[in-house]
Amino acid sequence: MKRIVLFTIAVLLALPSGAQKYMTRNGYIGFYSHTALEDIKGDNNQVASVLDIATGGIVFQVLVKSFHFDKALMEEHFNENYMESEKFPKSTFNGKITNLSEVDFSKNGTYDVTVEGDLTIHGVTNKVTTKGTLEVRSDGISAASRFSLVPEDYKIEIPGLVRNNIAKSMEITVTMKYEPMSGK
Amino acid sequence: MITFRLNRSHKIALWLIFFIAVGGILAGLYMYNLQDKDLAKVKPDFIMTASELQRAFETDEAAAGPKYINRIIELSGEVESVKPGENQTMVITLKTENPLSAVSCTMQSESLPPEFVAGNQVSLRGQCSGFLMDVLMNNCTVTGKSN
Repeated sequence: MKRIVLFTIAVLLALPSGAQKYMTRNGYIGFYSHTALEDIKGDNNQVASVLDIATGGIVFQVLVKSFHFDKALMEEHFNENYMESEKFPKSTFNGKITNLSEVDFSKNGTYDVTVEGDLTIHGVTNKVTTKGTLEVRSDGISAASRFSLVPEDYKIEIPGLVRNNIAKSMEITVTMKYEPMSGK
Repeated sequence: MITFRLNRSHKIALWLIFFIAVGGILAGLYMYNLQDKDLAKVKPDFIMTASELQRAFETDEAAAGPKYINRIIELSGEVESVKPGENQTMVITLKTENPLSAVSCTMQSESLPPEFVAGNQVSLRGQCSGFLMDVLMNNCTVTGKSN
């Protein structure tokens, strides 16, 4: 129970009463690496995330082992050689929408947003800023973003032998379908 | 023009090197293209209910992690929800005795049987990835015991 509550309480404690929170436990984060030698793609459909529309606060948590690859060997190398998922089992993002005033949560539509915050991968935290969209619907909110990430910025070491098989910069895709937090 | 004459032992050695090289390339290609195991054909390490697995992580995650993560687990429980994920994936959530936490299982869309709908008792087999807010299971497959 402690673990479950920690994730939500971490966000909830900082929020004013009456704030509206949205949540998903089945969000998607994928990454894609393209080189002339090889394409590598990992998908994770079990991302937990909370969005607070009163403050613009946004939090993600991902289990590294939940990334799925087409090839078993890629998955093994991803977990054991690069991400060291035994040692660093989770990746997190804790940030904020910086142009929250431009989003009208009372009106259905798609809004451009800028998000900045701390991204922790492989035990290394970096400040990131990225663009994305929020789609406000009567039954929930969808969020989408695409940005690039350099493995070496997170001290992910890629051996020289396979360095040309892996792109210098990974493309990260984020897709969340939030529901009001009153439901599970 | 220089010509080489190979005696019988040299020829055998060359053929051996050739076969080892070809075997190595084929083995490498096989390993590179190896897909995830079909867990329906793998004997599970544990057979338990979704509630039992969730309770194990909730009670003592430090002990449950080494015991269950990466293991093949056959789970039974009531379907809470079935939602489409990205890239032909379905996410099946199994209820537990804790209303705030569930067991989340990913499965390829084409493998999802029609009886996997909210409220039904089902059984599935998958590989445990760990605990976030829910216990996460991946590469799940149906065991044929669902109803």
